[in-house]
Amino acid sequence: MAAKSGNFAKEKLIDEEEEVLQAVILADSFNKRFRPLTARKPRCLLPICNAPLLDWTFESLALAGVQEVFVVCRSHAELVKEAIKDSKWSKPGSGMKIVPIMTAKETFSPGDAMRDVYTRGLVTSDFVLVMGDLVSNIRIDEVVRAHKERRRTNKDAIMTMVVKESGERHRTRAKGESAVFVLDPETNECLHYESVQGYPRTKGINVPREILEAHPEVDIRNDLLDCSIDVCSVEVPSLFQDNFDYLDIRRDFVHGILTSDLLMKNIYCYVAEEGYAARVQDTRSYESISKDILSRWTFPLVPDDNHPGGHIYELTRGNRYIAKGNTVELSRTCNVGKNTLIGTSTTVAENVTIEASVIGQNCRIGAGSIVKNSYLFEGAVVGAGCIIERSIIGAEAQIKDRSHVAKGCLIGEGVVVGPDAVLRPFERLSRKRSVDDVAADEDDDNSDIEEVESNQDSIDKTGLGKDSNAVVWPRGAPADEESDDEGPENYKNQRFMRLGDNASDLEEDLASSSDSESDTESDSSGEFDPYNDRDSISGLSDLSLTSSALDSTTSGLGLMADAEFRTEVTQSLARAFAENHSVDNAAVELKTLRMASNVPLARVKEAVIEAIVERVPVVEGDMAAQRREIAVVVGRWGELINKIGGVDPVETVMMLQVHCASSTRLALFGQILAALYQEDIVEEDDIRKWHELPSSRAEAGSVDEHEHHHHRKPFTEVELENMRKCWMIGTHMIQQFDAQGSDTETESENDTETETESEDEKKKNVATKAKATENESESEKDTESESESDEEEDVPKGALPTTSAHGIASGLRSAAAVAAVAGGAAGVAAANADSPSAGQAASVDAGRAAGTAAGYSAGIAAGLAAAAAVVGAVVGITQKTPVETPETSEEESDGSSESEVEVKKSAVAPATTAAATSASATVPTKVEEKTKAATVVVGATVAAAAATTLPQEEKAKVTPLAVTTTAAAVAPATASTSAILLSATTPTATVPLSATTPTATAPPAKAAATSADSPSEDSSEDEDSSRANTEDSDSDDGMSDAVSASEGASSANPSATSSTNVSEDEDSSDADEP
Amino acid sequence: MVSETRSAATSRSVEVLAQKLRRRQVVGSRAAALETLLVLRQVISKARFSNLEQLVAIIRDAGRRLVDAQPKEHSVGNTVRKILHHIREEFHAATRGTVVAKPASFSISKFVLQGQPRKHAVLPKSESKGTLRENDPDDPDSFARGLKPVLMEAIQDVLDELETVYDNISKNAKDHIHSDEIILTLGMSKTVEQFLKSAAHSHNYSVIIAETAPSYDGRIMAKSLSEAGISTFLVPDSSVFALMSRVNKVILGAHVILANGGMFAVSGSLMVATAAKAHSTPVVVCAGQFKLTPLWNLYHEYGAHDFGNPSDVLGFENGDLVDKVDVVNPYYDYVQPELIVAYITNDGDHPPSSIYRLLKETYDDEDNEL
Repeated sequence: MAAKSGNFAKEKLIDEEEEVLQAVILADSFNKRFRPLTARKPRCLLPICNAPLLDWTFESLALAGVQEVFVVCRSHAELVKEAIKDSKWSKPGSGMKIVPIMTAKETFSPGDAMRDVYTRGLVTSDFVLVMGDLVSNIRIDEVVRAHKERRRTNKDAIMTMVVKESGERHRTRAKGESAVFVLDPETNECLHYESVQGYPRTKGINVPREILEAHPEVDIRNDLLDCSIDVCSVEVPSLFQDNFDYLDIRRDFVHGILTSDLLMKNIYCYVAEEGYAARVQDTRSYESISKDILSRWTFPLVPDDNHPGGHIYELTRGNRYIAKGNTVELSRTCNVGKNTLIGTSTTVAENVTIEASVIGQNCRIGAGSIVKNSYLFEGAVVGAGCIIERSIIGAEAQIKDRSHVAKGCLIGEGVVVGPDAVLRPFERLSRKRSVDDVAADEDDDNSDIEEVESNQDSIDKTGLGKDSNAVVWPRGAPADEESDDEGPENYKNQRFMRLGDNASDLEEDLASSSDSESDTESDSSGEFDPYNDRDSISGLSDLSLTSSALDSTTSGLGLMADAEFRTEVTQSLARAFAENHSVDNAAVELKTLRMASNVPLARVKEAVIEAIVERVPVVEGDMAAQRREIAVVVGRWGELINKIGGVDPVETVMMLQVHCASSTRLALFGQILAALYQEDIVEEDDIRKWHELPSSRAEAGSVDEHEHHHHRKPFTEVELENMRKCWMIGTHMIQQFDAQGSDTETESENDTETETESEDEKKKNVATKAKATENESESEKDTESESESDEEEDVPKGALPTTSAHGIASGLRSAAAVAAVAGGAAGVAAANADSPSAGQAASVDAGRAAGTAAGYSAGIAAGLAAAAAVVGAVVGITQKTPVETPETSEEESDGSSESEVEVKKSAVAPATTAAATSASATVPTKVEEKTKAATVVVGATVAAAAATTLPQEEKAKVTPLAVTTTAAAVAPATASTSAILLSATTPTATVPLSATTPTATAPPAKAAATSADSPSEDSSEDEDSSRANTEDSDSDDGMSDAVSASEGASSANPSATSSTNVSEDEDSSDADEP
Repeated sequence: MVSETRSAATSRSVEVLAQKLRRRQVVGSRAAALETLLVLRQVISKARFSNLEQLVAIIRDAGRRLVDAQPKEHSVGNTVRKILHHIREEFHAATRGTVVAKPASFSISKFVLQGQPRKHAVLPKSESKGTLRENDPDDPDSFARGLKPVLMEAIQDVLDELETVYDNISKNAKDHIHSDEIILTLGMSKTVEQFLKSAAHSHNYSVIIAETAPSYDGRIMAKSLSEAGISTFLVPDSSVFALMSRVNKVILGAHVILANGGMFAVSGSLMVATAAKAHSTPVVVCAGQFKLTPLWNLYHEYGAHDFGNPSDVLGFENGDLVDKVDVVNPYYDYVQPELIVAYITNDGDHPPSSIYRLLKETYDDEDNEL
């Protein structure tokens, strides 16, 4: 074992010195393909080449250096346990510790077994999961190494499946049960898995389009032999536990993981270049694997070299293996053909012909018999003159003289047949159980055996011979077949797994049916498919690849399910609305619902948007009231649209448009869109993008193109008209954005305003913000502050390093927008707001993004605030929900705090106008409470007090925010967006900081609070600001101050000083003032 | 108690090696010999015995288990035999005088009857070091205590020999290969590689290497030699005969050297040797002494060719063919002594006809069957 290259080996040693490689063997087949051979013995103890399958499996694992093996056994568990105890593996020095695990009889699937593995907590690290019928010489340790290597970089790579390249028609490849793997050729990541079965024949698979979009190159392969060797991470059993409906490891688990967009786990394939691995999963593969072993594909696991049963065989020419030690009696005239294995103490009489067969130990074959392609287990006795073809004869079975066993027969343990018996092909025989056996088997689930035994009278038993004790198992398809037609266990599909059955009639069946199909096809397309005549069940060429759209529910069935789903969603949402669930809970409920009904995401989103739109009460005539209502609803529930997964604002707008167009609430479109925009559920760019979509314009013919709606009935003229109206609203909105964005803001804004005023009132809600701004803070002030904002750049010049110029500029702009409302000291405020970011060069990016976006939202929020202070405050409060997660790094939090500082004005302004005094009255006392949570609550109270409406739950919500510091890592982009979402309010300012740097938590809140309650005392720099605005500027000062130095304000954490690096000492005086 | 745990520990180490051999995790004659040696050293150091027979039985038992685990790796058995031989030798040396030396003179006519040539070399000396006594009733361990250090020394000698085997073989390389000669070889044999590289220090010559399908080890060899600055040609196996007329000497490696002077070597060797015979080109085999095996009829055993995995010859992915074609992929060829001119070992150069004598010197007759 010297072939490990230096560096890596060392690393490995350090890493895994103490780590024991574990393996889990599922020693139960969970199906009955080997019946009746498995009536008294589990499949894993059936011999293949005279050694129990389980020993082959152990040997395969031992090759890989597995040290600890858990054998999960269910049926005949005692037998398995005994066998393990008696085997060489339990001897010292075997190097493997084998622990049999008896699982409950209620374990009906591999999934159940995995859940059992989980509940028992067996595995502690990455482990190898194999079936108890594996024959392999693959270097699994290399797979494990590759897996671990991958895990080091990608924690979501939970599993590595070992597959082997085999031809389309390889004998070892299961025809009835294969699979299509969609692989990334570079990384071998398994992108999609679809099982393929022989009957009913799988004719096409659906590859989700996302896969084709995300990967420039994919391999879609049906020529891979699934070895059922999986290297799993520890969380795999727990995933089974979480998803109680996973039964099969491949069809359910792998398929489920790969198609789930919630779990976000990756599964990889290891395409084994060297080595052999296969599962004895049916009688057909039993035959082919026996042949593979005899022709040495499993080397060094071959009878004459490393026979797992410990027997020693001598290899002679033509792959004949005869047990060593002169115990085998071969008569002089017998003819032992190629690829044959003969066990110890077996007697072969004269003129016997044995070809390509495996004869167990202590067998006797009578004179003149012919045994071809058959498998005789230990102690089987064949009389004289018998013919046995392609069959499996169980242990101690007796085939008496002159009997003929046709192909595909399975003769159970101890069965006596003959003399002169003639068995039909595919006959299955077992011995009738004695009374003792029945009693012993009581706990086993042998209902099928009982059934078989009770049905004997109806079966024709002629041909079994007069000495026979056999019970005949049902021939042909069972009557209740239809119910079970879907899975791979149906009768016809099982025929592909049957020994000796080439299922040619089925293939013809299928071929003819596909021919007829292709006929119709070629009729319509005028093309001839040359592949149809080489029709094989598993042929790659037969798999037509249909790329499914996001929604594959275009069939009638799908529509029905769709309608059902719609009502479910509506009900669920209605309940959420009525009972005032939290957005998260509602989102979880919808996700579950979606999983259950298997509906594409877009459908859920549609339903949610629909529900929200319908939720808005229509207020006739009163625009302000209407806006309030919308703001309430969207503020409360808008976030749900993104929470259900798959954030795509453009799609959201599109859906909103489509819905409004067909709804009576067409008039609300603009306002809702504005509300969404304000909530940052959609952003300016999204609206622009939507606006550019041809389908949004409702041009003739373009509407239907939009795929998310192709299942809908075509739009009526009215709806089209409405769509156009909506689009017009969008046009105005965008014009407004343009106006805002440009430097000549004032004019264009005014222009828009005047324009919008003259426009249809639907558009007014967009305009109202601007209008409100105008009304409340006067456009002159607007211009004034705008111009000031330009000049402002001079004010903080010393404090601003050039690196953050861009961030500052945007910050200034946003501050300017705010200043429009505040009308006074915005310049100073902006300067102060920027100083923390200036101090932290690292936060430039976050600060910039946050600053820019905050500028917009602040502008709008400010406008709204001025228009309706109360509503604005409420909005501000409701918006803090999404805040807590994204802040992971200090920089980000700083950046966001900066943006908050600016944004805060909008909410604080209303606070001042509405309830400044009350806030200032409450705060100072509470500031004395030094605990973080308390401070946050204080913050909440401030805001709540400021807002006259005081939603009870908000307070409750804030407290946990401060506690939950386990913010998930979120991309900076989201961080900045959500930073925008903060949209002010004192408590929100606290939250992000508390999420990251607990030490810094208290000061900002306090400082903010401080500023909030010191309206009369202007800071040294804010002389020129008007009274109403001192609030804002103060709060800014306080904030930056709090971030930098917390020595002020008596209380709080001294450690905050050390944890922050922005120290603008001139501000400290402000904080000290109270 | 102590002895039980001790023997359990030694039996475990034997078992571990046996498994590795069986699973072919230890491959290559030299590696197997080294591993065997280390295990045997452990066995001896932990063994408790009070006379020679006990010690020999212990070692034989361990050796038999190893040999049974992998009968095709003959160097395992050879190492065991060699150790036994050394033990006896040391024992005789230590108890010299107490055992009466056979009075006989060397005679070729009595060669077979006389057995080991070594025993004639023993000069009857006066009784010295008679301290080593078997079956001392007072102190049963005294024998082991007295013998163990010398045994360890003897094992160390064997170990050293194994470790220096390449150097010792190649030290005469320049006498076998001359300037401007063309040498043909095949496969990847460490011994041959060292031999050729050593010869390259003093002579300028060319090497033709056959690819050696299906393992294509010849390619590795070619790379290694050309990196050492030897002018190297890599040719397909099929062109060996055509090129043979130009070749001055064929140098091969060996897997096992049999008592009759024949050998098992990587498959393809027979073809090369036969071609060489047709052109009367000398065939020289480089091999360490540990490959000498006291068996002469191994070629009767079909399985001795050690048939490997058909996947080297026919890819598993050729599904259709796998079912219809029987693939035979032997690792080794048996090369008859008539085809070989000389063996170059770390113990000097020998013609195939004198291998039997070398064997007699190296091993004890009673160990031929372990």
